[in-house]
Amino acid sequence: MTVPDIRAEGLVQRYRHSGTNAVDGLDLEVRSGEFLGLLGPNGAGKTTLISMLTGVLRPTAGQAFIQGLDIVAETQRVHGLIGFVPQEIALYGEFTARENLAFFGRLQGLDRATVREHGNHLLERAGLLDRADEPVRRWSGGMQRRLNLVTALLHRPPIVFLDEPTAGIDVQSRAAIRELLMEVHAEGVTLVYTSHHLEEAERLCSRVVIVDHGKVVAEVTDPQALAAHERLEDLFLQVTGRELRDRS
Amino acid sequence: MITRIRAHISKELLLLFRDRAGLALLFAMPACLVVIMALVQDAPFRDFSDRQLQVVYKDLDRGDVGRQLREGLERSGSFTITDGTGMTPGMFLDAIRKGQYQVGIMVPEGASKVLEARASSTISSVFGPLTGTGTGPGAELDSATVRVIMDPEVKHAFRQLVHASVRGILSGLSSDRLLDGMRAELEQVTGDSLVMPVVTEPFVDLHEEMAGGELMGERVAHDSTQHNVPAWTVFAMFFTVVLLGGNMVKERESGRMLRLLTMPGGTGERILGRMTAYLMVCVAQGILLVLIGMWFLPLIGLPQLRVAGPSMIVLLFIAAVPTALAATSLGVLVGSMSRSQQQSAVLGSTFVVIMSAIGGIWVPLYIMPPAMRALGQLSPLHWGLEAFNVPLLREGDLWELLPSVAPLLLFSVVCIIAAIVAERRATYR
Repeated sequence: MTVPDIRAEGLVQRYRHSGTNAVDGLDLEVRSGEFLGLLGPNGAGKTTLISMLTGVLRPTAGQAFIQGLDIVAETQRVHGLIGFVPQEIALYGEFTARENLAFFGRLQGLDRATVREHGNHLLERAGLLDRADEPVRRWSGGMQRRLNLVTALLHRPPIVFLDEPTAGIDVQSRAAIRELLMEVHAEGVTLVYTSHHLEEAERLCSRVVIVDHGKVVAEVTDPQALAAHERLEDLFLQVTGRELRDRS
Repeated sequence: MITRIRAHISKELLLLFRDRAGLALLFAMPACLVVIMALVQDAPFRDFSDRQLQVVYKDLDRGDVGRQLREGLERSGSFTITDGTGMTPGMFLDAIRKGQYQVGIMVPEGASKVLEARASSTISSVFGPLTGTGTGPGAELDSATVRVIMDPEVKHAFRQLVHASVRGILSGLSSDRLLDGMRAELEQVTGDSLVMPVVTEPFVDLHEEMAGGELMGERVAHDSTQHNVPAWTVFAMFFTVVLLGGNMVKERESGRMLRLLTMPGGTGERILGRMTAYLMVCVAQGILLVLIGMWFLPLIGLPQLRVAGPSMIVLLFIAAVPTALAATSLGVLVGSMSRSQQQSAVLGSTFVVIMSAIGGIWVPLYIMPPAMRALGQLSPLHWGLEAFNVPLLREGDLWELLPSVAPLLLFSVVCIIAAIVAERRATYR
């Protein structure tokens, strides 16, 4: 039996100030090469779950493993295996794209030549190569989002977590990011992706998990195969309800 | 790990080079402060060293006393004397009251005659019984008083200086006249011609030296340059707290920290990389300000910063490193504890300004009241300044650095541990 790329067993994250559980005994398995869509309304616990799976947040209870490595006990080794695209633009605006890649590449232990080789390849695929020597702060939001993704892929990790990677950008940039993600997925990389764009998830993911109140409330194994009358949005509203989830 | 720390160092330095306002804060501001403060404090420092008082001198005596008193004051080198003999008494007093001169000295008419009469009377009282020419007891003698008029702004120390100088010269004149009179009487008694020795120096000698190495030339313990260059170097090093802390908060507030948290390397590596970069910046600040003291300040008429030999340069470097370490440690602590960039800027700058004020950066600790001197001992900027003063003022050795370096190192260790704990709390929720 092969070890899943990601395995979570009874994961709990309790908010100290309110005493409520953001993630409440969640179990999850992601096999190698899967493209998992993690969907849910605001406050459902998606970002908290990703924070625990990437080692940013220590679980209150339960365990999680990345390729069999405990995320708490072997955080450093886990960090060598994953790439992460945060919701925010996680780049140094004062640096050029190459300088950003050089810095993050060196943290991942890549030498200069590898950073240049991988970096140029990815920048070209993301349509950023011709402006790679400009400070990133002069770029559009869409370009910054694409570089945000490129940076996470630089060290060719087998697992990539993406927290709303297409939030707030134009259609062209979103399409470019989608294409890049599909190419990366085709290369065998495991992707875990959160988004509020249900159609996008439907189109990209090989499996979708809907999370609410910190638990898995539904799972769709082949979202592309959903019939026209069984749209993901309908399922989503059915399992999470129509109540507004405005954050306080 | 080394590669990752080097990556953090390069990143911090590159961020600084791209931040023009930050560079100005780190290098241009302290350079300006050194020059401006050295200029501003030049005159007050000279008060304690080689500043000359402006004296208007009204000689109504026109005899030996008036002439020799003036010559004596001129020889002392502490006074610049202007002849005010032609002034009316009103003009004379006005010139002092308006601050044109700090001191007015008026030698009364007949002062030389009074000196002569009093000396003769004293000699007669001693030699009269021998020669049978003594003046009878109870003879009325005239008196004369040299008036010294001070500008109200003149400090107490200067008043004492004028008073002591005038009194010393007048006493010397009286002694000389007495010796001369005694010689004449003795010649009369013995019938021989006597040669009296000329006494130009006191029989019991006086030697003044600094409690430290001998400084070159006519310099005294402190001057504006020798105080301001190390003082503002220490201040500049500690002011990096504002930028360092701000950059840390900025990184944490953005998604960059989240990305860093999902990459190999921990809090310690990030802090170490950041501190090393800023340590290099602090040393660069020190080199710049010392060079300004050595080469630029003399060009604008200020005293040159003196560093007595290569061994003192080495010692200066050794003093700079723990000072810079304490500054950067404080910076990472402020950055770790602050929840916003504004909070970091206010916390960092307020702490540094207060600690510099009580630590003797703005004005030397030795001229502060005792309570403030005691309080100043608690400031890390004071320990830094003391460390710099070992090579610059005291020409001490490595052992003399220890009392200042030890608290700086202890302060650094405490700050770093607290910063790591606070940073972990702020990032790993």
